[in-house]
Amino acid sequence: MTDFMEQAQETFVNESLDLLQDMESSLNQLVDDPANDELINSVFRAAHTIKGSAGLFGQDAIVAFTHKVENVLDRVRDGEVAITAPLVEVLLECRDHIEVLIEALGEEPDPTLHQQGEALLAALMQQAGGDGAATAVESTTQLAQTDDSVVVSREEGPQVENDNWHISLRFHADVLRNGMDPLAFLRYLATLGEIVNVATLVDQMPNVEEMDPESCYLGMEVSFRSEADKQTIMDVFEFVMEDSSVVVLPPRSKLSEYTDLIETLSESEDERRLGELLVSVGALSTHELEKALSRQQLDQLQHPEQHPRLGEILVEQHAVDSNTVTAALKKQQAQHERKMKESRSIRVDAERLDQLINLVGELVIAGAGTGLKAQQLGDEDLLESVSLISRLVEEIRDRSLRLRMVQIGETFNRFNRVVRDVSKELGKSIKLVIEGADTELDKSVVEKIGDPLTHLVRNSIDHGIESAEERLAKGKPEQGTVTLNAYHDSGNIVIEVSDDGGGIDPDKVLAKARANGLVAPEQHLSRAEVLRLILEAGLSTKEAVSNLSGRGVGMDVVKRNVESLRGQIEVDSELGAGTSIRVRLPLTLSIIDGFLVGVGDASYVIPLDSVEECIEYEQLEKVRDHGGDYISLRGEVLPFLDLRTLFGERKDRDNRENIVVVRSGGAKAGLVVDELLGEYQTVIKPLSQIFSKLSGISGSTILGSGEVAMILEVNSLVSEAEQRTLHLS
Amino acid sequence: MGQLVKAQGGQQPATKEEPVIQQFLTFDLQGEMFGINILPIKEIIEYGKITAVPMVPSYVRGVINLRGNVVPVIDLPVRFGWQSSAVNKRTCIVIIEVEHGDEAMDIGVVIDSVSEVLDIEEKDIGASPSFGAKIRTDFIAGMGRVHDDFIVLLNPSKVLSVEELADLQQMPQRQAADGGAEP
Repeated sequence: MTDFMEQAQETFVNESLDLLQDMESSLNQLVDDPANDELINSVFRAAHTIKGSAGLFGQDAIVAFTHKVENVLDRVRDGEVAITAPLVEVLLECRDHIEVLIEALGEEPDPTLHQQGEALLAALMQQAGGDGAATAVESTTQLAQTDDSVVVSREEGPQVENDNWHISLRFHADVLRNGMDPLAFLRYLATLGEIVNVATLVDQMPNVEEMDPESCYLGMEVSFRSEADKQTIMDVFEFVMEDSSVVVLPPRSKLSEYTDLIETLSESEDERRLGELLVSVGALSTHELEKALSRQQLDQLQHPEQHPRLGEILVEQHAVDSNTVTAALKKQQAQHERKMKESRSIRVDAERLDQLINLVGELVIAGAGTGLKAQQLGDEDLLESVSLISRLVEEIRDRSLRLRMVQIGETFNRFNRVVRDVSKELGKSIKLVIEGADTELDKSVVEKIGDPLTHLVRNSIDHGIESAEERLAKGKPEQGTVTLNAYHDSGNIVIEVSDDGGGIDPDKVLAKARANGLVAPEQHLSRAEVLRLILEAGLSTKEAVSNLSGRGVGMDVVKRNVESLRGQIEVDSELGAGTSIRVRLPLTLSIIDGFLVGVGDASYVIPLDSVEECIEYEQLEKVRDHGGDYISLRGEVLPFLDLRTLFGERKDRDNRENIVVVRSGGAKAGLVVDELLGEYQTVIKPLSQIFSKLSGISGSTILGSGEVAMILEVNSLVSEAEQRTLHLS
Repeated sequence: MGQLVKAQGGQQPATKEEPVIQQFLTFDLQGEMFGINILPIKEIIEYGKITAVPMVPSYVRGVINLRGNVVPVIDLPVRFGWQSSAVNKRTCIVIIEVEHGDEAMDIGVVIDSVSEVLDIEEKDIGASPSFGAKIRTDFIAGMGRVHDDFIVLLNPSKVLSVEELADLQQMPQRQAADGGAEP
């Protein structure tokens, strides 16, 4: 396979997976809203497009399977088959099967896959009604028959003595560039019938020197024998229809249609030559060609101004009835709408976006450096223009970062499925509530958070929510609720998975942890610490191990995944009332607004979103006499961390001290620093792998002066201080 | 030499006609001569401003800005378990590329002074002594014989093992626990 085809196939896989995603969300919505035509249509469209594209790549297995699914969907669309929960169930399984088929692309065909497909289709037919199987298989033939009847009822006129379809193709020069292989169309066409003859037109081919190997110069005249109807044949070329010229003439078309064909194409080609081509593929006999050409000339002599349009001729000849016209119009409109939608969004390689964002990062650093120099020079005009530039750079930075931001809703919606499947498997009735679906976060974060979230949701269903009897006995509604929520909080995004289930019994967890040796018998732990234990490996309080969870592996993997994203997990649970697990993640992994502080010789960046306020040294002097590491902030106790001690800096008594008040989780804490250096735009430079286990520092950045500064991770700094305090006793 | 001693570098044994020659950057570290195969060495830079990283073991000298990339710098003597060298005019940083998993990453090491690049024939590279060297045996790739003297050839993948450098066990106790005991 050429690189080009490989690329095209990759596009096919990506698009199909997107379509399958649409299909799934529409199917899920259909359960609640069975009468919604738009949803059915969107499922149908997805199946149809996948089938079409798969055909282009000669993926017969996908085409065959999807075709049958599509038939059922078509009947649903026509109201012949009613939407029921079991039908949606099977359709979802079919969707999964298509996904499996697409993912298995390029691998050896697996016979078990085929069997699975057959079994699914049988189940589908069963749901779609008894006569479904026959109808589905027959539907193509039926359509072809209806088309035949149209042919029969057509007006008499001189017909071509030929039982084959004639397809005239003139590919657009960009066909190859757009990822289509003209041959693939022929291969797919061959699945619908027999290609009797092909003549290739190479007239457009320029000299070797002028030829662009990426352009397509070919045209084809194809004689084709098939029972398929015109639409099906036209659909083969759906993907090139827009810019290439495709003419399909049914068997025994009128001679005049061939004349028109010759006429339309003759603008660029020699008509005599074209006619000969038609003869050569067997579409016309020489005699018919002579007749056609003479008729054409005659027509032109008689009505030189008239240039009959294809549509008019078609209607005139009753080749299409009014229904078909309306349907075609509708289709055209739908395509138009789709085109509009396409033009609103562009598919961009994530890597290109990353490169852009990296460059913008460099720009921000360089801008900060220039700003610094301008300040040193003190030239008013220069300062002004620098500040204008930095404002623009800031905006570019925000915009380019937003390019990579996606709403979390799509990720959340996937869990409808998870909840339905898992609750069915466990025989529990559970509803999923989604909140904050429009909260945005970086795509790179979204991609990595799916698996941990799935695990948390499964855990909630399996461990959290009690059985229906138990719930009723406790006076809770029979149906359990799992809530997914997302919101922004101090520069982080918080994703919350909560349930109204039984909650976690801290005593049980502690007992288990002691039994496993995770906690020493004499060790005392706070409630929050005990709850955090469920994130450790080898700890599950579920008595019975189900095949979903309960083996005590998983939560530690979740924790590791989240921590690798510089995130944190908080566990909150009330026995009998439910559990909520909060995953706190940074919004983006590339740029943040920071607050620059000096500690010893070095500068550090505190993420600005977590900074509440700054307090000066004088205020500190008075309150630190009590010896504890806390001060009174307007009557409230504010514990603080002395960064100079923590970082092992020499302490210079003469230095002024300042406290930066930060927010960590729900609480406030102070960080004692030497100097406050002000706000600073910060490009996060990932720290080397050798610092991967270092907590309290999330990354580094390069200052305008070229020096490196560490970015502090406030949450883990504070939580580690809390840990230390706990273990003081 | 009557026999061929295969270097741990893993090169093909030399044929008599074409001696296999490896090139080593030699440098001084507190009076001892060391060599590193030049292949993974990316550049040698002047010792400049190094930003300290808090809460890490002392063998991590800090990080530098290498044309927009933040590169960690290892204090080689401390990594060997020696005292850190005083910085002088000839102190420099050698940037070495090490493999970690599928990724290649740069790590800088501080050395006292660069000497020269030496060609050493493979037959002149002996196995490391099982004891007697001043550094961990697994840090040594082999002993290079040059003018009747030996140069310790380092094994960068061990000396700069990312797993080992990242190991928190080696980190010193945080000083913050006594933060409350302020005068």
